[in-house]
Amino acid sequence: MNFSFSHRRISGVLAVVPANERSFVDEMSNFNFPPARSLKLKQVMGYDKHRIVEGPVCASDLGCFALEYAFGHGFVGRNQIDALLVVTQSPDYFMPPTSSVIQGRLGLKQDLFCMDINQGCAGFLIGLLEAFLLLGQDSVSKVALLNVDVLSRKVSPRDRNSYPLIGDAASLTLVERSEDPTPIHANLKMDGAAREALMIPAGGFRLPSTPETAVLEDDGENNLRAKDHLRMDGSAIFNFVQVEVPPLVEDLLRTAGASAGDVDYFLFHQPNRFMLQKLAERMQVPYEKMPSNVVEHYGNSSGVTIPLVIAHNLRERLLRDSVRACLAGFGVGLTWSSMLLRLGPLEFCELIEFP
Amino acid sequence: MDEFCRKLAQILEVDEVKPDDALEDFEEWDSLSALTVIAMAGCQYGVPLRATELKKLATPRHVYDFILRRKGMAP
Repeated sequence: MNFSFSHRRISGVLAVVPANERSFVDEMSNFNFPPARSLKLKQVMGYDKHRIVEGPVCASDLGCFALEYAFGHGFVGRNQIDALLVVTQSPDYFMPPTSSVIQGRLGLKQDLFCMDINQGCAGFLIGLLEAFLLLGQDSVSKVALLNVDVLSRKVSPRDRNSYPLIGDAASLTLVERSEDPTPIHANLKMDGAAREALMIPAGGFRLPSTPETAVLEDDGENNLRAKDHLRMDGSAIFNFVQVEVPPLVEDLLRTAGASAGDVDYFLFHQPNRFMLQKLAERMQVPYEKMPSNVVEHYGNSSGVTIPLVIAHNLRERLLRDSVRACLAGFGVGLTWSSMLLRLGPLEFCELIEFP
Repeated sequence: MDEFCRKLAQILEVDEVKPDDALEDFEEWDSLSALTVIAMAGCQYGVPLRATELKKLATPRHVYDFILRRKGMAP
Protein backbone atom coordinates (compact mmCIF):
# COMPACT_ATOMS: atom_id res chain seq x y z
CA MET A 1 0.00 0.00 0.00
CA ASN A 2 1.10 3.53 -0.79
CA PHE A 3 1.30 6.63 1.39
CA SER A 4 2.13 10.21 0.60
CA PHE A 5 2.71 13.23 2.78
CA SER A 6 3.92 16.76 2.43
CA HIS A 7 4.95 19.55 4.82
CA ARG A 8 6.71 17.07 7.08
CA ARG A 9 10.39 16.78 7.94
CA ILE A 10 12.93 15.04 10.09
CA SER A 11 14.58 17.86 12.01
CA GLY A 12 17.20 15.89 13.92
CA VAL A 13 18.69 12.48 14.61
CA LEU A 14 20.45 11.36 17.77
CA ALA A 15 21.79 7.81 17.94
CA VAL A 16 22.92 6.09 21.14
CA VAL A 17 25.08 2.97 21.33
CA PRO A 18 26.27 1.22 24.50
CA ALA A 19 29.93 1.92 25.30
CA ASN A 20 30.48 -1.82 25.73
CA GLU A 21 32.11 -3.02 22.51
CA ARG A 22 32.64 -6.71 21.74
CA SER A 23 34.56 -8.23 18.92
CA PHE A 24 33.73 -11.23 16.76
CA VAL A 25 37.21 -12.68 17.11
CA ASP A 26 37.02 -12.61 20.91
CA GLU A 27 33.65 -14.32 20.89
CA MET A 28 34.46 -16.99 18.32
CA SER A 29 35.31 -19.58 20.96
CA ASN A 30 31.66 -19.55 22.12
CA PHE A 31 30.60 -21.00 18.81
CA ASN A 32 30.56 -24.66 17.91
CA PHE A 33 32.42 -24.13 14.65
CA PRO A 34 36.05 -24.46 13.52
CA PRO A 35 37.74 -21.03 13.90
CA ALA A 36 38.69 -20.97 10.21
CA ARG A 37 35.03 -21.24 9.20
CA SER A 38 34.01 -18.56 11.65
CA LEU A 39 36.69 -16.26 10.24
CA LYS A 40 35.34 -16.96 6.78
CA LEU A 41 31.86 -16.01 8.01
CA LYS A 42 33.28 -12.80 9.46
CA GLN A 43 34.85 -11.94 6.11
CA VAL A 44 31.81 -12.77 3.98
CA MET A 45 29.17 -11.16 6.20
CA GLY A 46 31.25 -8.21 7.32
CA TYR A 47 31.15 -8.94 11.03
CA ASP A 48 33.71 -7.32 13.30
CA LYS A 49 32.62 -5.36 16.34
CA HIS A 50 29.24 -4.91 17.93
CA ARG A 51 27.84 -2.90 20.80
CA ILE A 52 25.75 -4.63 23.40
CA VAL A 53 24.48 -3.55 26.80
CA GLU A 54 26.26 -4.76 29.90
CA GLY A 55 23.94 -6.12 32.54
CA PRO A 56 20.20 -5.56 32.85
CA VAL A 57 19.97 -2.37 30.81
CA CYS A 58 16.44 -1.82 29.50
CA ALA A 59 14.86 -0.01 26.57
CA SER A 60 13.70 2.85 28.77
CA ASP A 61 17.25 3.35 30.12
CA LEU A 62 18.60 4.00 26.63
CA GLY A 63 15.49 5.98 25.69
CA CYS A 64 15.66 8.27 28.73
CA PHE A 65 19.37 8.77 28.12
CA ALA A 66 18.71 9.92 24.56
CA LEU A 67 15.91 12.29 25.54
CA GLU A 68 17.82 13.76 28.50
CA TYR A 69 20.77 14.40 26.21
CA ALA A 70 18.50 16.11 23.69
CA PHE A 71 16.89 18.29 26.40
CA GLY A 72 20.28 19.08 27.95
CA HIS A 73 21.80 20.14 24.63
CA GLY A 74 18.82 22.26 23.61
CA PHE A 75 17.84 20.04 20.67
CA VAL A 76 14.25 20.19 21.85
CA GLY A 77 12.45 21.57 24.88
CA ARG A 78 11.10 19.14 27.45
CA ASN A 79 7.57 20.52 26.97
CA GLN A 80 7.74 20.86 23.21
CA ILE A 81 7.16 17.19 22.49
CA ASP A 82 3.51 16.37 21.83
CA ALA A 83 3.89 12.70 21.00
CA LEU A 84 6.34 10.04 22.12
CA LEU A 85 6.45 7.00 19.88
CA VAL A 86 8.56 4.13 21.17
CA VAL A 87 9.29 1.44 18.62
CA THR A 88 10.71 -1.61 20.35
CA GLN A 89 10.57 -5.40 20.51
CA SER A 90 12.26 -5.41 23.90
CA PRO A 91 9.90 -3.44 26.16
CA ASP A 92 10.62 -3.02 29.87
CA TYR A 93 7.32 -4.76 30.66
CA PHE A 94 4.36 -6.36 28.89
CA MET A 95 2.43 -3.57 30.60
CA PRO A 96 2.62 -0.60 30.98
CA PRO A 97 3.99 0.62 27.63
CA THR A 98 7.66 1.64 27.61
CA SER A 99 6.58 5.07 26.31
CA SER A 100 4.61 5.54 29.54
CA VAL A 101 7.62 4.39 31.56
CA ILE A 102 9.77 7.01 29.83
CA GLN A 103 7.13 9.74 30.20
CA GLY A 104 6.95 9.01 33.92
CA ARG A 105 10.70 8.73 34.50
CA LEU A 106 11.34 12.04 32.75
CA GLY A 107 8.32 13.84 34.18
CA LEU A 108 7.00 14.79 30.77
CA LYS A 109 3.73 16.69 30.42
CA GLN A 110 0.34 14.96 30.46
CA ASP A 111 -0.66 16.43 27.10
CA LEU A 112 1.51 13.81 25.46
CA PHE A 113 0.46 11.05 23.11
CA CYS A 114 2.46 8.02 24.28
CA MET A 115 2.42 4.93 22.12
CA ASP A 116 4.50 1.78 21.82
CA ILE A 117 4.85 0.11 18.45
CA ASN A 118 6.00 -3.50 18.34
CA GLN A 119 8.12 -3.47 15.20
CA GLY A 120 11.65 -4.45 14.31
CA CYS A 121 13.80 -3.90 11.27
CA ALA A 122 11.10 -1.88 9.47
CA GLY A 123 10.47 0.03 12.70
CA PHE A 124 12.07 3.28 11.61
CA LEU A 125 9.77 3.49 8.59
CA ILE A 126 6.68 2.45 10.58
CA GLY A 127 7.54 5.02 13.25
CA LEU A 128 7.98 7.77 10.65
CA LEU A 129 4.61 6.92 9.06
CA GLU A 130 2.91 7.17 12.46
CA ALA A 131 4.71 10.41 13.25
CA PHE A 132 3.64 11.93 9.92
CA LEU A 133 0.04 10.89 10.57
CA LEU A 134 0.02 12.41 14.06
CA LEU A 135 1.34 15.68 12.66
CA GLY A 136 -1.98 16.02 10.81
CA GLN A 137 -3.44 17.14 14.14
CA ASP A 138 -3.20 20.82 15.16
CA SER A 139 -2.31 19.78 18.70
CA VAL A 140 0.77 17.89 17.56
CA SER A 141 3.70 19.95 16.31
CA LYS A 142 6.69 17.83 17.38
CA VAL A 143 6.90 14.06 17.55
CA ALA A 144 9.74 12.28 19.34
CA LEU A 145 10.30 8.98 17.58
CA LEU A 146 12.34 6.69 19.77
CA ASN A 147 13.60 3.47 18.22
CA VAL A 148 15.23 1.26 20.81
CA ASP A 149 16.14 -2.39 21.24
CA VAL A 150 18.25 -4.39 23.67
CA LEU A 151 17.76 -7.71 21.93
CA SER A 152 21.26 -8.97 22.76
CA ARG A 153 19.64 -10.01 26.03
CA LYS A 154 17.43 -12.41 24.05
CA VAL A 155 20.09 -13.91 21.78
CA SER A 156 22.02 -17.02 22.72
CA PRO A 157 25.78 -16.27 22.90
CA ARG A 158 26.28 -19.74 21.40
CA ASP A 159 24.17 -19.01 18.33
CA ARG A 160 26.53 -18.10 15.51
CA ASN A 161 23.51 -17.47 13.32
CA SER A 162 22.44 -14.38 15.27
CA TYR A 163 24.84 -13.46 18.05
CA PRO A 164 27.74 -11.99 16.00
CA LEU A 165 25.45 -9.51 14.31
CA ILE A 166 23.18 -8.43 17.15
CA GLY A 167 23.57 -4.90 18.42
CA ASP A 168 21.76 -2.81 21.02
CA ALA A 169 21.04 0.85 20.40
CA ALA A 170 18.52 3.66 20.59
CA SER A 171 17.77 6.64 18.43
CA LEU A 172 15.75 9.78 18.88
CA THR A 173 14.37 11.22 15.67
CA LEU A 174 12.55 14.50 15.88
CA VAL A 175 9.74 14.82 13.35
CA GLU A 176 7.81 18.00 12.71
CA ARG A 177 5.88 20.06 10.18
CA SER A 178 7.73 22.05 7.55
CA GLU A 179 7.08 24.63 4.84
CA ASP A 180 8.29 22.25 2.17
CA PRO A 181 5.47 21.12 -0.16
CA THR A 182 7.66 18.44 -1.81
CA PRO A 183 5.81 15.14 -1.55
CA ILE A 184 7.18 12.35 0.61
CA HIS A 185 6.26 8.99 -0.85
CA ALA A 186 6.19 5.72 1.05
CA ASN A 187 4.96 2.19 0.62
CA LEU A 188 4.52 -0.79 2.84
CA LYS A 189 3.75 -4.50 2.68
CA MET A 190 3.25 -7.08 5.40
CA ASP A 191 3.10 -10.86 5.39
CA GLY A 192 2.09 -12.44 8.68
CA ALA A 193 2.00 -15.86 7.03
CA ALA A 194 5.80 -15.85 7.21
CA ARG A 195 5.84 -14.59 10.82
CA GLU A 196 7.92 -17.48 12.16
CA ALA A 197 11.01 -16.64 10.10
CA LEU A 198 12.07 -14.22 12.84
CA MET A 199 10.73 -14.75 16.32
CA ILE A 200 11.27 -15.31 20.01
CA PRO A 201 9.13 -18.42 20.49
CA ALA A 202 8.78 -18.37 24.29
CA GLY A 203 8.12 -15.74 26.93
CA GLY A 204 4.76 -14.44 25.74
CA PHE A 205 1.31 -15.76 26.60
CA ARG A 206 1.35 -18.47 23.89
CA LEU A 207 4.38 -20.20 25.35
CA PRO A 208 5.31 -18.77 28.75
CA SER A 209 8.94 -19.09 29.87
CA THR A 210 9.62 -22.18 31.98
CA PRO A 211 12.80 -24.07 32.86
CA GLU A 212 12.16 -26.15 29.71
CA THR A 213 12.07 -23.11 27.41
CA ALA A 214 15.47 -22.09 28.78
CA VAL A 215 17.17 -25.34 27.72
CA LEU A 216 19.73 -24.86 24.94
CA GLU A 217 19.05 -27.01 21.87
CA ASP A 218 21.14 -27.64 18.77
CA ASP A 219 19.37 -26.38 15.66
CA GLY A 220 21.02 -29.06 13.54
CA GLU A 221 23.64 -26.56 12.32
CA ASN A 222 25.74 -26.46 15.51
CA ASN A 223 24.00 -23.38 16.85
CA LEU A 224 22.78 -23.67 20.43
CA ARG A 225 19.73 -21.70 21.45
CA ALA A 226 16.66 -22.02 23.67
CA LYS A 227 13.02 -21.25 22.96
CA ASP A 228 13.48 -18.14 25.10
CA HIS A 229 15.99 -16.88 22.54
CA LEU A 230 15.60 -14.99 19.30
CA ARG A 231 15.77 -17.24 16.29
CA MET A 232 16.13 -16.34 12.66
CA ASP A 233 15.70 -18.45 9.56
CA GLY A 234 18.64 -16.87 7.76
CA SER A 235 18.03 -18.26 4.28
CA ALA A 236 14.29 -17.46 4.40
CA ILE A 237 15.08 -13.88 5.41
CA PHE A 238 17.78 -13.58 2.77
CA ASN A 239 15.40 -14.75 0.04
CA PHE A 240 12.60 -12.55 1.33
CA VAL A 241 14.81 -9.48 1.16
CA GLN A 242 16.24 -10.22 -2.28
CA VAL A 243 12.83 -11.05 -3.74
CA GLU A 244 10.63 -8.40 -2.14
CA VAL A 245 12.72 -5.30 -1.52
CA PRO A 246 13.88 -4.42 -5.09
CA PRO A 247 10.32 -4.36 -6.55
CA LEU A 248 9.08 -2.42 -3.51
CA VAL A 249 11.67 0.29 -4.12
CA GLU A 250 11.04 0.25 -7.89
CA ASP A 251 7.33 0.80 -7.23
CA LEU A 252 8.13 3.64 -4.85
CA LEU A 253 10.34 5.39 -7.38
CA ARG A 254 7.78 4.90 -10.14
CA THR A 255 5.02 6.37 -7.96
CA ALA A 256 7.25 9.31 -7.14
CA GLY A 257 8.19 9.77 -10.81
CA ALA A 258 11.84 9.39 -9.88
CA SER A 259 14.63 7.11 -11.01
CA ALA A 260 17.37 5.42 -9.02
CA GLY A 261 19.79 7.98 -10.44
CA ASP A 262 17.86 10.81 -8.76
CA VAL A 263 18.50 9.30 -5.35
CA ASP A 264 21.62 10.47 -3.51
CA TYR A 265 21.60 7.73 -0.89
CA PHE A 266 19.84 4.44 -0.31
CA LEU A 267 19.74 4.32 3.47
CA PHE A 268 18.55 0.83 4.19
CA HIS A 269 18.16 -1.26 7.28
CA GLN A 270 21.49 -2.97 8.04
CA PRO A 271 21.15 -6.74 8.47
CA ASN A 272 24.75 -7.42 7.39
CA ARG A 273 27.11 -6.21 4.68
CA PHE A 274 26.63 -9.30 2.52
CA MET A 275 22.87 -8.90 2.21
CA LEU A 276 23.13 -5.19 1.44
CA GLN A 277 25.77 -5.65 -1.21
CA LYS A 278 23.68 -8.36 -2.89
CA LEU A 279 20.73 -5.98 -2.75
CA ALA A 280 22.79 -3.17 -4.28
CA GLU A 281 23.97 -5.48 -7.08
CA ARG A 282 20.46 -6.61 -7.81
CA MET A 283 19.16 -3.04 -7.85
CA GLN A 284 22.18 -1.85 -9.85
CA VAL A 285 22.98 0.77 -7.26
CA PRO A 286 26.66 1.60 -6.68
CA TYR A 287 27.93 0.46 -3.26
CA GLU A 288 28.88 4.01 -2.27
CA LYS A 289 25.25 5.08 -2.57
CA MET A 290 24.13 2.30 -0.25
CA PRO A 291 26.26 2.35 2.92
CA SER A 292 26.55 -1.10 4.52
CA ASN A 293 29.02 -0.44 7.35
CA VAL A 294 26.78 -0.34 10.41
CA VAL A 295 26.95 -4.02 11.35
CA GLU A 296 30.77 -4.14 11.34
CA HIS A 297 30.94 -1.18 13.75
CA TYR A 298 27.88 -1.54 15.96
CA GLY A 299 25.89 -4.65 15.04
CA ASN A 300 22.33 -4.88 13.80
CA SER A 301 20.03 -3.05 16.21
CA SER A 302 16.82 -3.62 14.19
CA GLY A 303 14.84 -0.35 13.97
CA VAL A 304 17.83 1.79 14.98
CA THR A 305 20.08 0.90 12.06
CA ILE A 306 18.81 3.59 9.68
CA PRO A 307 19.42 6.41 12.20
CA LEU A 308 22.84 4.80 12.81
CA VAL A 309 23.69 4.67 9.12
CA ILE A 310 22.73 8.36 8.93
CA ALA A 311 24.69 9.46 12.01
CA HIS A 312 27.75 7.35 11.21
CA ASN A 313 28.09 8.23 7.52
CA LEU A 314 26.31 11.48 6.76
CA ARG A 315 26.53 13.61 9.89
CA GLU A 316 28.67 16.46 8.53
CA ARG A 317 26.85 16.63 5.25
CA LEU A 318 23.35 16.60 6.72
CA LEU A 319 24.12 19.34 9.22
CA ARG A 320 24.70 21.78 6.36
CA ASP A 321 23.05 20.22 3.33
CA SER A 322 20.16 18.11 2.20
CA VAL A 323 20.07 14.87 0.21
CA ARG A 324 17.39 12.94 -1.58
CA ALA A 325 17.21 9.72 0.38
CA CYS A 326 15.48 6.45 -0.21
CA LEU A 327 14.93 4.59 3.06
CA ALA A 328 13.96 0.94 3.34
CA GLY A 329 13.33 -1.33 6.30
CA PHE A 330 12.54 -5.04 6.19
CA GLY A 331 12.24 -7.79 8.74
CA VAL A 332 10.10 -9.15 11.53
CA GLY A 333 6.41 -9.58 10.77
CA LEU A 334 7.36 -9.93 8.01
CA THR A 335 7.21 -6.24 7.16
CA TRP A 336 8.87 -4.29 4.37
CA SER A 337 8.59 -0.61 3.67
CA SER A 338 10.36 2.12 1.73
CA MET A 339 10.23 5.90 1.66
CA LEU A 340 11.58 8.65 -0.58
CA LEU A 341 12.16 11.98 1.11
CA ARG A 342 14.44 14.97 1.30
CA LEU A 343 16.65 14.59 4.34
CA GLY A 344 18.39 17.58 5.92
CA PRO A 345 19.64 20.06 6.69
CA LEU A 346 19.28 18.68 10.20
CA GLU A 347 19.34 20.79 13.34
CA PHE A 348 21.23 18.04 15.13
CA CYS A 349 22.83 14.77 14.12
CA GLU A 350 24.93 12.96 16.69
CA LEU A 351 26.12 9.54 17.71
CA ILE A 352 26.80 9.20 21.43
CA GLU A 353 27.65 6.44 23.89
CA PHE A 354 25.60 5.12 26.75
CA PRO A 355 28.11 4.59 29.59
CA MET B 1 26.66 -26.56 -15.72
CA ASP B 2 30.42 -26.01 -16.21
CA GLU B 3 30.08 -22.40 -15.17
CA PHE B 4 27.98 -23.42 -12.17
CA CYS B 5 30.61 -25.96 -11.08
CA ARG B 6 33.36 -23.35 -11.45
CA LYS B 7 31.50 -20.98 -9.14
CA LEU B 8 30.85 -23.79 -6.71
CA ALA B 9 34.56 -24.63 -6.68
CA GLN B 10 35.29 -21.01 -5.69
CA ILE B 11 32.75 -21.15 -2.88
CA LEU B 12 34.11 -24.48 -1.64
CA GLU B 13 37.70 -23.28 -2.04
CA VAL B 14 38.79 -26.26 -4.14
CA ASP B 15 40.34 -26.50 -7.61
CA GLU B 16 37.54 -28.44 -9.19
CA VAL B 17 33.99 -29.58 -8.53
CA LYS B 18 32.41 -32.26 -10.74
CA PRO B 19 28.66 -32.40 -11.40
CA ASP B 20 28.22 -35.69 -9.53
CA ASP B 21 30.50 -35.05 -6.56
CA ALA B 22 28.79 -35.44 -3.21
CA LEU B 23 28.51 -31.98 -1.66
CA GLU B 24 28.71 -33.48 1.81
CA ASP B 25 32.22 -34.71 1.11
CA PHE B 26 33.60 -31.19 0.83
CA GLU B 27 35.14 -29.90 4.00
CA GLU B 28 33.87 -26.37 3.31
CA TRP B 29 30.25 -27.41 2.67
CA ASP B 30 28.48 -25.84 5.65
CA SER B 31 25.74 -23.34 6.42
CA LEU B 32 27.90 -20.44 5.22
CA SER B 33 28.77 -21.94 1.85
CA ALA B 34 25.12 -22.99 1.57
CA LEU B 35 24.05 -19.36 2.05
CA THR B 36 26.54 -18.30 -0.61
CA VAL B 37 24.96 -20.81 -3.01
CA ILE B 38 21.50 -19.49 -2.06
CA ALA B 39 22.75 -15.97 -2.80
CA MET B 40 24.11 -17.13 -6.15
CA ALA B 41 20.77 -18.78 -7.02
CA GLY B 42 18.96 -15.58 -6.06
CA CYS B 43 21.28 -13.00 -7.57
CA GLN B 44 22.53 -14.73 -10.70
CA TYR B 45 19.60 -16.98 -11.58
CA GLY B 46 16.78 -15.00 -9.95
CA VAL B 47 15.62 -18.11 -8.11
CA PRO B 48 14.75 -18.19 -4.40
CA LEU B 49 16.25 -21.33 -2.88
CA ARG B 50 15.64 -22.29 0.73
CA ALA B 51 18.27 -23.83 3.00
CA THR B 52 15.93 -26.75 3.74
CA GLU B 53 15.55 -27.42 0.00
CA LEU B 54 19.27 -27.14 -0.62
CA LYS B 55 20.00 -29.62 2.14
CA LYS B 56 18.09 -32.30 0.23
CA LEU B 57 20.16 -31.81 -2.92
CA ALA B 58 23.16 -34.13 -2.85
CA THR B 59 25.28 -33.07 -5.82
CA PRO B 60 26.03 -29.96 -7.90
CA ARG B 61 23.92 -31.49 -10.68
CA HIS B 62 20.92 -31.81 -8.37
CA VAL B 63 21.29 -28.20 -7.27
CA TYR B 64 21.70 -26.93 -10.80
CA ASP B 65 18.71 -28.89 -12.10
CA PHE B 66 16.60 -27.68 -9.18
CA ILE B 67 17.46 -24.05 -9.99
CA LEU B 68 16.67 -24.52 -13.68
CA ARG B 69 13.38 -26.27 -12.91
CA ARG B 70 12.32 -23.48 -10.61
CA LYS B 71 13.28 -20.96 -13.23
CA GLY B 72 11.02 -22.84 -15.66
CA MET B 73 13.93 -24.00 -17.82
CA ALA B 74 13.67 -27.68 -16.95
CA PRO B 75 16.32 -29.93 -18.46
